Amino acid sequence: MYALHKHEKIQKYLLTFDSICVNILCRYALRTQYVVFGRISERKDRLTMIHSIIKRDGRVVLYDQNKIAAAILKALEASGDGNAADAARVANDVQLELEGKFVDQAPNIESVQDAVERQLMNHGFNAAAKAYILYRANRTRAREANTKLMKTIDEITNIDARISDMKRDNANIDGNTAMGSMLQIGAAGAKAYNEMYLLRPEHAKAYREGDIHIHDFDFYSLTTTCCQTDIIKLFKDGFSTGHGYLREPQSIQSYAALAAIAIQSNQNDQHGGQSIPNFDYGMGEGVAKTYRKAFTRRLRDGVEDLLDLEDAEYTVTAVIADAEKTTGEVAKLQSSDAYIAAVVEGLTKAFKMDKATAEKLVKRAAERAYKKTDRDTKQAMEGFVHNLNTMHSRAGAQTPFSSINYGTDTSPEGRMVIKNILLALNDGMGHGETCIFPIHIFKVKEGVNYNETDPNYDLFRLSMQVSAKRLFPNYTFLDAPYNLQYYVPGRPETEVATMGCRTRVMGNVYDPTREISYSRGNLSFTSINLPRIAIESKGDEKVFFEKLLSMMELVAQQLLDRFEIQASKHIYNYPFLMGQGVWLDSDKLSIHDDLREVLKHGTLSIGFIGLAETLTALYGQHHGQSEEMQEKGKAILGFMRKFCDDKSQELKMNFSLLGTPAEGLSGRFIRMDQKRYGKIPGITDREYYTNSFHIPVWFPISAYDKIRLEAPYHALCNAGHISYVELDGDTAQNVEAFETIVRCMHDFGIGYGSINHPVDRDPVCGYVGIIGDVCPRCGRREGEEIPFERIEELKRKYPKMPAFQGIE
Amino acid sequence: MTIKSTNEKMGQGVGFERIRRITGYLVGTMDKWNDAKRAEERDRVKHSLTKNA
Repeated sequence: MYALHKHEKIQKYLLTFDSICVNILCRYALRTQYVVFGRISERKDRLTMIHSIIKRDGRVVLYDQNKIAAAILKALEASGDGNAADAARVANDVQLELEGKFVDQAPNIESVQDAVERQLMNHGFNAAAKAYILYRANRTRAREANTKLMKTIDEITNIDARISDMKRDNANIDGNTAMGSMLQIGAAGAKAYNEMYLLRPEHAKAYREGDIHIHDFDFYSLTTTCCQTDIIKLFKDGFSTGHGYLREPQSIQSYAALAAIAIQSNQNDQHGGQSIPNFDYGMGEGVAKTYRKAFTRRLRDGVEDLLDLEDAEYTVTAVIADAEKTTGEVAKLQSSDAYIAAVVEGLTKAFKMDKATAEKLVKRAAERAYKKTDRDTKQAMEGFVHNLNTMHSRAGAQTPFSSINYGTDTSPEGRMVIKNILLALNDGMGHGETCIFPIHIFKVKEGVNYNETDPNYDLFRLSMQVSAKRLFPNYTFLDAPYNLQYYVPGRPETEVATMGCRTRVMGNVYDPTREISYSRGNLSFTSINLPRIAIESKGDEKVFFEKLLSMMELVAQQLLDRFEIQASKHIYNYPFLMGQGVWLDSDKLSIHDDLREVLKHGTLSIGFIGLAETLTALYGQHHGQSEEMQEKGKAILGFMRKFCDDKSQELKMNFSLLGTPAEGLSGRFIRMDQKRYGKIPGITDREYYTNSFHIPVWFPISAYDKIRLEAPYHALCNAGHISYVELDGDTAQNVEAFETIVRCMHDFGIGYGSINHPVDRDPVCGYVGIIGDVCPRCGRREGEEIPFERIEELKRKYPKMPAFQGIE
Repeated sequence: MTIKSTNEKMGQGVGFERIRRITGYLVGTMDKWNDAKRAEERDRVKHSLTKNA
């Protein structure tokens, strides 16, 4: 009777299942019913029988061994491990196990699946067991993803960002605004989809469980990280933002305005930070155009005043055109003697004046044009900084994450740009606030600005005065050997430049003739939870390196999978980045080409966090504590770098090692590891893992030693690195002390560094500096009110105080 | 920012802004920092300028 019943049931399934299932079940039924039924009939005298099972939602359904056998067969077939008869044997033992365990109650689905895993392993089908576990995990993931997504969206919708840590994952997005929330909801949906459909199960597992972190995972299927925009190339003959066409700019004001628009446009095509590598060289061209026009106008005004003429424009313009023609030059901040002489001669002829008068007119015009250009440049730079701190991108959720690099252009025009961008940064925003964006990066180079006799040394000094007040600029060091190797004097594209939090792109195994910073960037990066590997290795160095190697292989594969998605895109997916030729060689693509080849100029980066905790877990101390640990630290990162270099050579793609910025990551990994391992002293007992290769922030060390110890890791982390020195406010105000530290960084071979010090501001009286408990200017404590009379008094004393717009 | 004034005085409830560098960029106020980065900022020690700490 029982056998017949089972047979009917199989028939029923045959009728209702789709063709694949039919196939499996047919084979299963034909090959195994004898075995199954034989075993069951042998055992029908047993008292306990499994009749029903409890589903996840609590419903009780009839137990059906065929379903179990079918699932087992799928696992066996997936792994090429066994056949239908094997499936039946395992299914029988699953039933035996369940009968033994569940005497008075029905088993639930989870117990049945546990039993399947165990019995597969008992029968020696290890590969099939693994396949089954992965299948199970996938199913669980799919089930949970929906619930989790809805919960996440619920939190984004209802919880204040000040309370929700999740909404403050990225400090540059205001999770309390409508567009910020919309962006976060979109990101949550994209992440859920990407994890379910785009990741291999082993990558999804490693990501979910915190072995690795896939950065910008919400953009996994959409775009790449960042790019250095060569504004000189972009501005030539004008460009389109994707929303409208802009003519080639003709003055420093429009150069600066268009530079901000370029950053904004590209920010919408990529998910990372946007950067200009040649801000001084690029804006310098705008300065030259403004000066040239100003010189003509001032000369015209001078002639008109002197000779009492109504309109001398036509003649003066003709004189200048002639001078340009004969000398092949134009009016510049420092015009050549030949050019000046040609203009003087032209004036004497055209207006029948003596040479001395003409010389005086030209001199005055040049002085006035210089002043006007300087003023215009300052205003343009102020406008640029204001724009980047107020303009919106990415549906209004963010101000553009922008960087500008400068410091090496020694032309008078470039120098005027550098001076004025520094002054604008120094002045701050409308109420004296410190500008958050762009990130300013001053490029330090011997022979250009590093030594007292260098042409831009004065600007290097100015930069330090500003940085001591405003935290920017940061410094990048072109003399570090791994930067100097690419440097060619007179070719600014060979100067290393930084973007985003620290990204650097220079070497190029895909095209060694293009080892430049311009028009390139990072494609994607994934970070490894280094401390966990160390903890799991239990002090065994050999085990550590084996585990690290296999984790790097896993990450490399995941980066390549992501690259495949990126490579299949087209120009029209990135109307600015690719459509306007911002990315290297993208101007050679046709509308039908995919982006595969041009994207290979970019980098795939493997990052890490917590070298300090890794060393402590392996050897008991970190690299700030002994020279021996420093050697161990160099060995670990050296191993990782070699992996990247080997992978690059093997695939002719740019794999690079990154000291990950790890803003959201600093807490994510350690929270998971605390759950796994508890609070291990010196390793998991804080709320964050130490950033990249840094000496722990809490460890007392001199600035000198910190720089000395961290510098060798800059050489190894070719995808990006940064070192910080923390100064108290008083020391930071001392420019000599500040310079000592910057020079120390240069001399030890730091690639990119900055000096942190407290910058506080009282919005009520506008004081900027260090504020302890009490504001040194107005004397109030946080949250306290002060009388209007006191404000009026302070206003008289400090005329530059904010105007308090918006007081109710 | 809007500063409310009451009783001929102003500044009630207005805090100080404390600008800090986060992972390479600046953040205008630490309100927007996540918990882990806040803890890290709190733990930072100053570095002396002498060669031996």
